[in-house]
Amino acid sequence: MVDTRDPHEQAEELLPWYATGQLDDADRSIVEAHLSACARCQRQLAGERRMVEQFKSFSPEVDSGWARMRQRIEAPQPKRRSSIGRTASEIWQLLTRPAVAALATAQVALLAIAAAIAPSMTSAPAYVALGDKAQPSPEANMIILFRPETTEADMRLALKSSGASLVGGPTDADAYLLHVSPEQRPSALARLHDDDDVLMAEPIDGAAR
Amino acid sequence: MRQGAQVTMSRTASHPRADAARVEGVEERQLIERVRARELPAFEKLYRLYQPRLTRFLSNLVQRPQVLEEVVDDTMMVVWETAGNFRGASKLSTWIFSIAYRKALKARSRWPDPLEEDPNDTRASTDPGPDDQVQQGRLHDALVAAMESLSADHRTVVDLTYFHSMGYREIAEIMDCPVDTVKTRMFHARRRLREALGGTSADWL
Repeated sequence: MVDTRDPHEQAEELLPWYATGQLDDADRSIVEAHLSACARCQRQLAGERRMVEQFKSFSPEVDSGWARMRQRIEAPQPKRRSSIGRTASEIWQLLTRPAVAALATAQVALLAIAAAIAPSMTSAPAYVALGDKAQPSPEANMIILFRPETTEADMRLALKSSGASLVGGPTDADAYLLHVSPEQRPSALARLHDDDDVLMAEPIDGAAR
Repeated sequence: MRQGAQVTMSRTASHPRADAARVEGVEERQLIERVRARELPAFEKLYRLYQPRLTRFLSNLVQRPQVLEEVVDDTMMVVWETAGNFRGASKLSTWIFSIAYRKALKARSRWPDPLEEDPNDTRASTDPGPDDQVQQGRLHDALVAAMESLSADHRTVVDLTYFHSMGYREIAEIMDCPVDTVKTRMFHARRRLREALGGTSADWL
């Protein structure tokens, strides 16, 4: 395609890329052939170079970003980097991997896992003897799984807005155990289900313990 | 007098710059090979190379800091997960920036900028003094204000050109538009920047 405009217009248009050394030979010839004869373009070129200097003179911070990215990559399972889950179904595979492959539905799987995880989590702090009469920590009555990329701030926000408090976790599957007063539980669950960061939030009942 | 010196400098510097770009290209290609092999340290290196560039690039398109962070990280996540799709038909930077640009457009449709201004209805918000007394900081501030007065598309072309040293063809590929559109956007953006910086320096014309 032949550019039929006058050389000044063509050269003027290309000046920014001439200033940054990004023109091919043909374009560079157009600019250089015109530049030596045009004081206006010479002045503009000087302006372009100053503009480049200005634009190069500040650059954003990187370390905090990398920390975030790394956390996100390693969030689901540090040793299984290839299994970064993006969808609920992938998370489900992760959750159900140990023993429940045969379970028919995700919901059944969830309840089974929740039931399996909850006792082990609540019994985890060994310094609380079972017979201890001291004030026990509130019992977990919900289990929640956030998306792997959820930030700590967003988790906090989700918990605060639902009125739930953290009782245990993360489990092997990166789920957390929550406590909320029984009256508040339905509304807390509804809120959490509406939260984009929450992959699952389900009631569990450790009352048998 | 200074102009002459600058012209000479650029002519002698154009070849080393091309060499440096080639070396950079080779290194980046090796890096993406390793990322394809799921080597996390290689991806960290790539991330450290691109995170600041993407943050800078995307800040022209996405105003909200949290959304900006998210788009940068989402872009790099796509790079991590789909490195195998990069066939080297274009430069690595073009591929990554294209992903970022598409992500940014999506983010913009979800969260429109609160104060996206009409590019035809903007005035320079600076009050520069006489040319010779202009301080670097003031020029910088004036430039930031002038950039804010541009539309997102114009800002993007300007920044890709001046800061990221990209040619108009690469920019057209990233923004998925004709090269003439890039040239026209740049031409109008420069005029607006010059207007906005009008009293700041005679060199801007």
